[in-house]
Amino acid sequence: MSAGIYVHVPFCLTRCGYCDFNAYAGLDHLRPRYVRALMEEASLAAPAWRDEEVVSVFLGGGTPTTLGTADLAGLLEHLRDRFHVAPDAEVTIEANPDTVDASKLEALLGAGFERLSMGAQSFDLAVLASLERVHGPDSVRRAMAAARRVGFANVSLDLIYGAQGETVASWERTLREAIALEPEHVSAYALTVEAATPLGRQVALGVRSAPDPDVQAQMFEVACVSLAEAGYRHYEVSNWARPGFECRHNLGYWERRPYLGLGAGAHSYRDDRRWWNVRPPEEYLRRVGSGASAVGGEERLEPADAHLEEILLRLRILEGIPSSWVEPRTVEPFIDGGLLRETDGALVPTERGMLLLNELVLALAG
Amino acid sequence: MTDTTRIRNFCIIAHIDHGKSTLADRLLELTHAVADRDMREQYLDKMDLERERGITIKAQAVRLSHDAGGIAYELNLIDTPGHVDFTYEVSRSLAACEGAVLLVDAAQGVEAQTLANYHLARDAGLVIVPALNKIDLPQADVEGTARDLAELVGCDPSEVLAVSGKTGEGVLELLETVIAKVPAPEGSTSDPLRALIFDSSFDTYRGVIAYVRVKDGVLRTRGRLHAMAASMDWEAEETGVFAPEATPIPELGPGEVGYLVTGLKDVHLVKVGDTITDQGRDRAHEPLPGYREPRPMVWSGLFPAEGGDYGALRDALDKLKLNDAALVFEPETSTALGFGFRCGFLGLLHMDIVKERLEREFGLELIATAPNVEFHVVRGDETLVVHNPSEMPHPGTYDRVEEPIVLATIITPSDYLGAVLELCQSRRGEMVDMKYLSTTRVEVHYLLPLAEIIFDFFDQLKSRTRGYASLDYEPWGYQGSALVRVDVLLHGEPVDAFSSVVHRDKAYPYGRSMVERLKELIPRQLFDVAIQASIGSRIVARETVKAKRKDVLAKCYGGDITRKRKLLEQQKKGKARMRRVGRVDVPQEAFIAALRVDQRTVERS
Repeated sequence: MSAGIYVHVPFCLTRCGYCDFNAYAGLDHLRPRYVRALMEEASLAAPAWRDEEVVSVFLGGGTPTTLGTADLAGLLEHLRDRFHVAPDAEVTIEANPDTVDASKLEALLGAGFERLSMGAQSFDLAVLASLERVHGPDSVRRAMAAARRVGFANVSLDLIYGAQGETVASWERTLREAIALEPEHVSAYALTVEAATPLGRQVALGVRSAPDPDVQAQMFEVACVSLAEAGYRHYEVSNWARPGFECRHNLGYWERRPYLGLGAGAHSYRDDRRWWNVRPPEEYLRRVGSGASAVGGEERLEPADAHLEEILLRLRILEGIPSSWVEPRTVEPFIDGGLLRETDGALVPTERGMLLLNELVLALAG
Repeated sequence: MTDTTRIRNFCIIAHIDHGKSTLADRLLELTHAVADRDMREQYLDKMDLERERGITIKAQAVRLSHDAGGIAYELNLIDTPGHVDFTYEVSRSLAACEGAVLLVDAAQGVEAQTLANYHLARDAGLVIVPALNKIDLPQADVEGTARDLAELVGCDPSEVLAVSGKTGEGVLELLETVIAKVPAPEGSTSDPLRALIFDSSFDTYRGVIAYVRVKDGVLRTRGRLHAMAASMDWEAEETGVFAPEATPIPELGPGEVGYLVTGLKDVHLVKVGDTITDQGRDRAHEPLPGYREPRPMVWSGLFPAEGGDYGALRDALDKLKLNDAALVFEPETSTALGFGFRCGFLGLLHMDIVKERLEREFGLELIATAPNVEFHVVRGDETLVVHNPSEMPHPGTYDRVEEPIVLATIITPSDYLGAVLELCQSRRGEMVDMKYLSTTRVEVHYLLPLAEIIFDFFDQLKSRTRGYASLDYEPWGYQGSALVRVDVLLHGEPVDAFSSVVHRDKAYPYGRSMVERLKELIPRQLFDVAIQASIGSRIVARETVKAKRKDVLAKCYGGDITRKRKLLEQQKKGKARMRRVGRVDVPQEAFIAALRVDQRTVERS
């Protein structure tokens, strides 16, 4: 069966106020040990994944490009040695525009990272400042140009909308700027306030306002229109791609294909079992260094959990769920209300429905 | 049996915090009722401790012995509830006494509750012994307060006793004044038995305990008794007195006060104010005067927050009713809140106590509808009694509606008189009279609709007088009023729990405030929700909760699907706790918050 491998790199130059990922600034001294630990963990895990064909590898974080090119190349080579990585596997690396230049990009491409996912977030200086991003819009353009120059043919831009200070007009400008760079893929995420982040605390204290969901809904609609006009297909709630450039790795999550997560806090899934590594990098290093398992927790999906997940994930992508899964009278109000449509025996959310997906999932999961 | 000439029965009338319990402690010490090593503060208040087998209820009457002039007196100190909700109970306790100590904090002055209970005592023909307490406090105004008190009871200021419950100063004098001034009870051992039940309680091991005052004849252990109002026969399993611990004695003679173990399991069979006599030929024919059935003044629907707790709520109410004769309830079905009970209470304090006990002692989570009074809807010769606003007929189908009116007594510093009058006027009050108790304190009487008092009146009174005013009220009667029923509709569906009966002039502001409140409380749904207030078919206020547009998790990062699923499960649980009104999901909290009456009830004592 086809599987994916996710590698987590928890290092960042600085922490952004909104981010609740397992990422740390100031732990750079751990880098060499961390790369070794990743390789050890991969070696330990490999035998159990002998029968899977790895069709995608994704280096995320954090900021993977904080690691040296040689380390990154060595890591990928190690994975290719230990696992059955398909020759045409999609290999993605996330990059912060400030941590890459032409020579680094060239080396990455040479090492086999053929898909580049760049955290642009916004092209509006005020919005970038509000998100506490250290780069400016120019460094995105520069990095993009460099990537094209050295030969990257599959680049994705990540955007975030709804930060304090952003208007629908400035979001439209950001979209135009992004489209002008002609990425193969665009991810556009509504800013979500997570309680355990500096942003979350500021919102709780009333120092900053939480994003207005109505404004974010409007921004989502603007994105749908702009990106469709530019030839991108909306294939998941927050993702658009030119035909053939859908992110195979992320589709694996949504299609409930198995994946192995390596690194601090990384999540894995196979055969209705989900498990995850310990989050703190030091703890992860200690575990792997002493030959112990890095797994910090796991869950077995009960049929009801699996059912809820399947509906949640299938509705996120345009695959939808078979009409036969749900009673017609449950579905009708949503079809009449324009949140769902029925095509070829499948129930698929409309764009309005995608915005209200939680409601849809809960209603359809029963 | 004690000779009546050596018995004195009295109570202490005092406002909360004016030092009644501390004075009682001094009296216990002075009369050696409690050995020094057993003495503790607020002894009588703390007697309701769990004990095996013995009577576990607070002593409502304690017997003290005191020698004066070589004669051993038996003094019965009878406790009275201090709160307006329990005026009838107070009157029965007073009927068990011949005298009352009117105790006033020398630093605080006379308060409305004291005054109300003083009037009850005077009307009951009790001899009043005025006394100041807390004279040891630096801020005590002994002279001024003595003058006010003397004027109130119509005596010379020199006759007002000065006491400190804290230091014990003046307590002996108080006791001797009680002996000298309070008359001995009358009554003869040869008359047929007549004993007044002035209180009752329920003991898990012994059944219902009646607190009695013998007026005529003799009450004997093992005596075969008849309760006249209840028309019940039973046997006196045990008679005794609190001294202050429960002490069995074989008989209680005329003038004596004590307890009676009935062995009955239902407190409703032992009615406060009822007269006990003997069975058979020796029975009395005339009951003692003053009995009446407890009558609920305030009604509210109680619903379990979890629908499945209906049975538990019914069991809990049944248990509470065992020792709360005033509590009445009947099943109620609300389209919005499901199955519950419409409960009648003596007043807001009583309602609070019951609700608190249901929640604390029985672990129930409850939604209570806003309290309402009992309306009389008159159509021709018929009178329909309405306990529930959603049962109020629509205008045009009846001749008139009557509502209960109370006579309110308010005492306020004269500086706040204007604010008090303004409040009473705004609550449809009608002034009866007003008099200066001193140059700085005013007593005002108003006729007010009870419905206006149960809606944040006391809070308003306190806030407008910086906490200085005090309030008491007693039922006055029913009076026709321009009352209308206001309904609240969600998405076109009336929500019975939100219906209310209000004065016509206040219907619009009431409807307005309800829809505005609900607009903040009802979460956005997948469609626009209209919130309307209506009188009959006329819409008087409207707000809209706009349909929600966005409810989606933006990102499933790095394959952490577990977290997303957990968030959805949380959301699902939240939905399960909502109640569905038509198509609209309404959270429990919205019901609780929209129905909350923003007030702590009238002072507790």
